[in-house]
Amino acid sequence: MSIIEDTYTLFIREMLIFKKNIGTNIARGLIFPLVFIILLGAFGSAPKNVPVALVNYDNSAASLNFINMLQSGGSIVVTSDTTQPLAMSELSSGQVAAVVVIPAGFSNPQGSSSIYTYLDNSQPQSAGVVSGVVEKIAAQFNVKSLTGATAPQAGADPISVVANYAYGAGSNYESFVVGGIIIMVAAFGAMFGSGFTVISDRQLGNLKTFLTTPINKYSILLSKIAYGTVQSSFSAYIGLAIGLLYGATIAAGLLGFIELLWIILLVGLGFGALSVAMATRAKQLQTYALISQTITMPLAFLGGAFVPVTLLPSFLRPVSVVNPLTYAVDATRDIMIKGYLPLSTLLLASAILLAFAVAMIALAVMFFRDTSRQI
Amino acid sequence: MSMAAAPANIIEIKNLVKRFGDFTAVGDISLDIKKGEIFGLLGPNGAGKSTTINILLGLLPPTSGSVMVNGIDMRKNPDKAKKEIGVVTQETVVEPELTATQNLMLFGKLHHIPASELQESIRFALDLSGLTGFKDAFAGTFSGGMKRRLETAKALMHAPQLLLLDEPTTGLDIQNRTQIWNLLREINKKQNVTILMTTQYLEEADQLCNRIGIIDHGKLIALGTPAELKRKIGMSSMIEVAADKDDLARVAAVFKKAGLEPQILTNKVVAPGGTNAVDKVQRLMRALTAAKITIQSINMHEPTIDDVFLKLTGSAVRDETGSDDAQKDATAALMGRGRSR
Repeated sequence: MSIIEDTYTLFIREMLIFKKNIGTNIARGLIFPLVFIILLGAFGSAPKNVPVALVNYDNSAASLNFINMLQSGGSIVVTSDTTQPLAMSELSSGQVAAVVVIPAGFSNPQGSSSIYTYLDNSQPQSAGVVSGVVEKIAAQFNVKSLTGATAPQAGADPISVVANYAYGAGSNYESFVVGGIIIMVAAFGAMFGSGFTVISDRQLGNLKTFLTTPINKYSILLSKIAYGTVQSSFSAYIGLAIGLLYGATIAAGLLGFIELLWIILLVGLGFGALSVAMATRAKQLQTYALISQTITMPLAFLGGAFVPVTLLPSFLRPVSVVNPLTYAVDATRDIMIKGYLPLSTLLLASAILLAFAVAMIALAVMFFRDTSRQI
Repeated sequence: MSMAAAPANIIEIKNLVKRFGDFTAVGDISLDIKKGEIFGLLGPNGAGKSTTINILLGLLPPTSGSVMVNGIDMRKNPDKAKKEIGVVTQETVVEPELTATQNLMLFGKLHHIPASELQESIRFALDLSGLTGFKDAFAGTFSGGMKRRLETAKALMHAPQLLLLDEPTTGLDIQNRTQIWNLLREINKKQNVTILMTTQYLEEADQLCNRIGIIDHGKLIALGTPAELKRKIGMSSMIEVAADKDDLARVAAVFKKAGLEPQILTNKVVAPGGTNAVDKVQRLMRALTAAKITIQSINMHEPTIDDVFLKLTGSAVRDETGSDDAQKDATAALMGRGRSR
């Protein structure tokens, strides 16, 4: 008899229990995303020191004055670029959250006095800050006061701001929030699905009974990981459905939807395996709950689920680089907001999440080799 | 299959040793269990009973020694050896969220019963447990006795040679307990299955078991039929005096003066009466009165397995009164000996 058949037998058991408790499982799937959508939706954060690339084609006293005023509030940090293409490449690589272009003839009262902004709306908090600051300063200038005037005057005929979004007008803050939440729900769901049932099965004597049958003992682990993946995907898909009702959109369309399901599945697999590995070592449910929360919550935060990774303090950046959730969140945002998913991003995310899952399965197997702790 | 004739013993334990670090849980136990018998394994908490059983089930590797199940080495060929054993663990393990049929289906598959025989095995198990009428009811709705019967039937689905039960009637009322006893006798006779059980109810071992083994401090200290074991402690009647806790030491002193070997329990003093037990009771009463000790009762009874157990291990398996003191004693004994595994 193969390990696959044993795993399937035990997996069916998990699914029968899952089906029996379907009400609880749906409720759990609903509550988590709802709470986070309400919390994060209501309190969009206002970051400081948002990096902005500025291209000044006018080079006049008025434009320099304008730049000084942009920086004075401390909300944004301006770096000057010589050309717009250079600035735009910084925008697309995520080095800056926005590009502000002051066109030639800005200080000419006869010319069209407009400021052009290009906003990275995959970082909606930052984009919001930049557009707010630019709009506010622009409103303090008026076209007639530009020539030779040192002090700006507000009045009729204000300077207009033309805002451009880097990734399609349909994307929004809701998509940003939901993209992070579904990844966090997937990670949390797996931790609560797999590991919890390992410990409760041990306490109830089920693990011991399974081990007295002639099955391959690792099929117990594999069935738990498979169940955790299902449980976590189930919760994350419910979260995604709530998110779409709440107003999030998937810019990449139907293909993007399928790609999202795939990313969620991989997160569930990796974190399911991590939770099983931890549960083979934790005696008490309380210990396990404490450890799993201590791991999952910071990983979700440092992975950019709530705040873009670019806004993290520099000493935390290395954590984001080795955090598998960073790549999952990146891929999700690309799919939901940018509207396209370059194959390289999908491959990178898939490769990293799969490698993480394989490493965690190996860890769980290593911990389960000696089963005397499990009886 | 080997060409050798089937062994006469279903279980052969040879020089079994199990150490956890410095602690020796099982120190050199050898024991044969014959085909067709009902064998009771007794011992106080932490005596090494559970460790022995866990090794027997292939759940723990022994430090040294060997376990053969129906001629198959558990260490070398665990998958094959495990097929010879059906297990009913102490924690009633039925899945409350699954129906009776689903419970049986799960274990049938875990025991690798071929798909063509699975339905028949399930029917057999439902019939044996008397749960055919409840086959599609969730096990969570069953009474304690029904759960035990389902679990016992589940353990027999794959037609094992040996049924191993860890405290099968703990927590059951007398009616359910009697039902389980009848079920076990039936299984033993009709299915020709050898039964190995542990129990904390010594009268259960006395009534049900053909042979009894007593384990203490990791050693097998007694082995024989209930009658043989009772003979071992002198075959005489037991004298028992219940008194105030503070007076027990003085009562014991009076016992000693009368030439008896007393043992002090939580609320009484007990000793084998030897020859002329009735005379000794009368003398004891006079001496107690002379010493101005108020007693609650005095009685004589035929020796039971409890008395054998007490004599051999120096402790009662279960205290009849179930008082807090008995709990504390049990806890202290447990801590002193290390946790049973």
